[in-house]
Amino acid sequence: MGGPVLGSDRSTGDLGRFAEPALLILVSLADAPKHGYAIMTDVNAFAASPIGPGTLYAALARLERRGLIEPMGPEDRRRPYRLTAGGSEALSSHLAEMRRLVQVGRARLGAADG
Amino acid sequence: MPAPVAAVGLVMRAYPQDWRERYGAEMAALLSDREPSWRDLLDLVRGGVDARLHRLVKPPTQLVAAMPRREVVMAVPLPRPYGVVETQPIGELSRRAFMRRMLGVGAGILALEFIGGTLAFLWPQLRAGLGAKFAVGTLADILAEQPSFANGWPYAVGAARSFLINVPAARELALGHDASIPNPTADQMLALYRKCPHLGCQVPGLCDELKRFTCRCHGSTYNILGEKLKEGPAQRGMDRFAVQVNDNGVVVIDTSQYTFGNLDRQDVKFLSFVDAAPYERKCQ
Repeated sequence: MGGPVLGSDRSTGDLGRFAEPALLILVSLADAPKHGYAIMTDVNAFAASPIGPGTLYAALARLERRGLIEPMGPEDRRRPYRLTAGGSEALSSHLAEMRRLVQVGRARLGAADG
Repeated sequence: MPAPVAAVGLVMRAYPQDWRERYGAEMAALLSDREPSWRDLLDLVRGGVDARLHRLVKPPTQLVAAMPRREVVMAVPLPRPYGVVETQPIGELSRRAFMRRMLGVGAGILALEFIGGTLAFLWPQLRAGLGAKFAVGTLADILAEQPSFANGWPYAVGAARSFLINVPAARELALGHDASIPNPTADQMLALYRKCPHLGCQVPGLCDELKRFTCRCHGSTYNILGEKLKEGPAQRGMDRFAVQVNDNGVVVIDTSQYTFGNLDRQDVKFLSFVDAAPYERKCQ
């Protein structure tokens, strides 16, 4: 369900079950860089399904490998991550795609929704 | 319920070496902030398996690039001082690791063989042998092969180890009458299991003299419907399989449906059928 941007990639293959956590991570990093624990608490605050530490890092590693996020210098033992230019571009085009999907869905559901 | 610290350490070993070098410290920091639950541990195990299946960690290219050029030039091979132990080149398997891995592989194969053998042993054989349904043939087929089936003589079905009995005709035969009943219904047929309920000998065919079955091993005697008579050590009559006639008129013996023979109560009055010969006689 990742859509055209996050869903597949010729170099590293499909994100598979990590497509959704990856999207949540990108959203979480959109306002400011965060380290692992901060991402996790943030995501668990705004998303419906919580993500565990293993899933979080599996998704982080994939995003890093694709160059959508990058690690910053370590602070204490924690290492914050931030969006790269490619990452924020991928996120905004993915969100645009989702927005289009929302519009189509609402239009087809009819005017009852308002 | 938080998981113990030792379990967390164990679970981190699910991740490959390069992953732990790259992410280990920050993951440990995260887990110390969070008090991981058992669910988190399961998630980590899955993550570890995933990390082993996919090479996700980037090689540290920045470090090589950051290294001053002079040091790279200086890195010419020097003669090794005496006594230096050769270290294993990265990516190659040592003899010890190889042996250990092969031991693991061998144990795995052995376990698989054991499991496979156990399953094969327990697997039911429902297509052949007892427990299956045996199509005997239509009544016309049976009569073509053995016309005396219409007169009450048992028809031996080798595969089902049974005698097929035409009950109304068999009664007439055992009473000494001459009858021909070529069209018994499914209710009017019996399949008698030929294994003697005493000690399992195969019960031979009907004797001409008395129209009874007598086991040759210990002399257990049964009437033509397989009911135990006076003679012999068996404790019950011959066992019975279900008989059906399917839509095409084929007689089927279902050996998965099984009824015990009558209890031997040593008295003629408990039998459902009394033939012409005296109760205590057996075939010679």
